[in-house]
Amino acid sequence: MKFSLPLLTLTILIEVFAGQILQGKQESLLLFPMFLISIPVINSVGGNIGSVLGARIASGLHVGYISLNLSDKEIHDNFFISLLIGFITYLILAIVIYFVALLGNLTEDIALIEFIAIFVLTGVLLISTVAIVSVFTAFLSFKKGLDPDDMVAPIVTTFGDIMGILFLFLLFGLFGVGI
Amino acid sequence: MYAKEMVKQSLPLIIFCGLGAIVAGSTLGVMSDLIREIPGLIVIIPAIIAMRGNISTAFGSRLGSAYHLGVIDADNLWNKELMQNIIGSLVLSFLVSIIIGILAYITSLFLRVAPNPIKIILIVLIAGIISGLILTILTIGIVYLAFKRGYDPDNITGPALATFGDIVTMICIFGSAFLVEVMI
Repeated sequence: MKFSLPLLTLTILIEVFAGQILQGKQESLLLFPMFLISIPVINSVGGNIGSVLGARIASGLHVGYISLNLSDKEIHDNFFISLLIGFITYLILAIVIYFVALLGNLTEDIALIEFIAIFVLTGVLLISTVAIVSVFTAFLSFKKGLDPDDMVAPIVTTFGDIMGILFLFLLFGLFGVGI
Repeated sequence: MYAKEMVKQSLPLIIFCGLGAIVAGSTLGVMSDLIREIPGLIVIIPAIIAMRGNISTAFGSRLGSAYHLGVIDADNLWNKELMQNIIGSLVLSFLVSIIIGILAYITSLFLRVAPNPIKIILIVLIAGIISGLILTILTIGIVYLAFKRGYDPDNITGPALATFGDIVTMICIFGSAFLVEVMI
């Protein structure tokens, strides 16, 4: 456990910055609690899909059916399947969150369609970014002789947490909700 | 065909983990009054969840490897190896919790928010240690059940911790923020 402290501290530092972005936008979040509920969901799904993709690429590189080449067809297939899984998951969860919020009287002025659009677009942007980071992390660590299995999950989840929050506020702004 | 298989195998589990995250998110939604009253509280939330996820998953996969190496099994679970892992993960939780509290306080000062440093550090410490204890016990329970049924613990602890870890941690943050706000 000795070796994990420096890496964990770096992770924590990045997460504290994610937290500071939340604090900066605290008023909008408290005004629209539906988005407060969404944050752990967006980040958890993004981290899971990114980690699964990374683990698959790591196994492929270890066994040899994926080559260290960005035009590898296997890589493209995995990338698009991750996007597809992300799209379906975010769509279903958006509907569930909306109705959970409806039960708790938290829907405020947002229509179901508008919420789904913000949530799913955030998700698709996040999955695209996380998938690219996942592929590059797997490639780079494999090239440097490190085991991608140890590297991908922590890097992808940490990076995904901060990007998920940034994308959510970006779409918040684009749709003119809150702020 | 292999695409279909990948969707079929991972989609249900990812949706299930997402539903777990909605429970964690709803706990966060219920905390909105506390977030308003305690400046800095929202800053520490992503960090505590990330710490818990990292430490618990490492603990779970260490138990899985120990099982594969034959160091522990269902009849011989409570041994020195397990104790060392438990103490290691709790000491790490303690240290990282203090680091989170200090980092959250210092970065807040730069952004001209002035949280109460004692409150923030206490909230992280209590939430970090208690969620650590609960998840350690939960992990050992899951590994034990996996042994008994002849499953590979490596396939079970990851998704189980991803689903329940965030919920347990968020409830612990809520409880500890409430406790500290009432006491101090």
